[in-house]
Amino acid sequence: MIAADAAGSAPARAERPKAAGPAVIRYLDVVKRYGAFTALDGVSLDVHAGEVVCLIGPSGSGKSTMLRCTNGLEMLDAGDIEFEGMRLARDERGLRSMRRRMGMVFQNFELFPHLTALQNVAEGPRTVLRMASAEADRRAQAMLVKVGLADKAPNFPSALSGGQQQRVAIARALAMEPDVMLFDEPTSALDPETIGEVLSVMKALAEEGMTMVVVTHEMSFARRVGDWVAVFDAGRIVEEGPPRQIFDAPTTERTRDFLGHLGWTG
Amino acid sequence: MTLDWSVVWQHRDALALGTATTFLLTIATMAIAVPCGIAVAILRLYGWAPARALATGYVELFRNLPLILVVYWAFYVLPILTGLGLSPLATGLAALSLNVTAYNAETFRAGINSIRRGQVEAAMALGMSRAQALRRVVVPQALRRILPVLASTWVSLFKDTSLVSVIAVTELAYVSMQVRAQTFRVLEMLTAMAALYWLLGYPQAKLVDWIQRRFEVHE
Repeated sequence: MIAADAAGSAPARAERPKAAGPAVIRYLDVVKRYGAFTALDGVSLDVHAGEVVCLIGPSGSGKSTMLRCTNGLEMLDAGDIEFEGMRLARDERGLRSMRRRMGMVFQNFELFPHLTALQNVAEGPRTVLRMASAEADRRAQAMLVKVGLADKAPNFPSALSGGQQQRVAIARALAMEPDVMLFDEPTSALDPETIGEVLSVMKALAEEGMTMVVVTHEMSFARRVGDWVAVFDAGRIVEEGPPRQIFDAPTTERTRDFLGHLGWTG
Repeated sequence: MTLDWSVVWQHRDALALGTATTFLLTIATMAIAVPCGIAVAILRLYGWAPARALATGYVELFRNLPLILVVYWAFYVLPILTGLGLSPLATGLAALSLNVTAYNAETFRAGINSIRRGQVEAAMALGMSRAQALRRVVVPQALRRILPVLASTWVSLFKDTSLVSVIAVTELAYVSMQVRAQTFRVLEMLTAMAALYWLLGYPQAKLVDWIQRRFEVHE
């Protein structure tokens, strides 16, 4: 654990080039408990503009909980989260205005099954941004084009493959024109053959400069696309650093263990 | 025993009027009991504690009282309680609505509970309020899921409207009974009444089946 503390110290600028500006999201000693179980045990992490920060680690280590705390789907028990320089709201109204600027993609897609792909994507602009429906539809169509599903606009989610559903879900989040995208294991519920299409949409998004926090078990994605990787274990970050360090020269036993269990060979 | 079916034809106007009233009662009751049922269900699920208790009390009271008792009760007690001289039709409508709202509330509550949490979270993650998430995401899905139950409630209600005949609402059952009493043509009128209820009720049940297939949501 001594090594973990060392890894948590300020990284060299050269290793984290996008960290020049102020942090978009700052996790400050975040604690989250469920009854007697401590899901997050004092986690601190910065996410800078344009960065792709990947959260990895074993199941139940707190990565998803941390993501869900980011937009207030879960409430903190101690510590704080700052979003664009503002303390995360504790009230409904404040949270809503922050959530509008944070897109979220869920493991199980959570598309609205009673709406078509286009209606799913237009729903946020229409209901939350109070956009006229023609304008919302236009924006939704543009987002579907962006994820390569323009021809699926009239389809209901049940008629789409898992990978297509997840791409619609990404388009739905993007339609709000968020400053940050939060991905909660976006490929974990997918068939192997459709994982690639979702990852390539995410990669394209990263290349456009979208700030992304990604909880993932896709180590090759974290390695190729991630700018910064945080390794979670038992509610703590045991190591963080650029992907090269995490995957090629991990400094803690826990990281080596975790990657070893996955059969990661570098 | 000689049967004289002409009595049915002779009273066709009264029977038609009674049928219209039966339909009116069914439609009006549902028009009241669907939104009120949703409101009571939402109060029970999300209301503050006293409202929740009130809604639960209401549902448990009216679900467990015989409808005919509620009809009599409304007839004798509502005027005293409200100070209004309500017509039999309005009284019957009130009694039916009180009863069906309680049933619908339970149906809606089950429907809303069946929508998984992730749907609300997805709506809230977009920036919707809880009320918007309910209105735009949860209730439309719940409605589709419970359509078969609402349908059987509808078909039951269509028949149960006959109970308000006891307070002289001139619906189909009341009219048939009146004709029977005036002409002593018991078998003919009861048979005609049965035929009318069945012929009117059966297509409704089929129509609702069709609506259900049409709006079914696949996951």
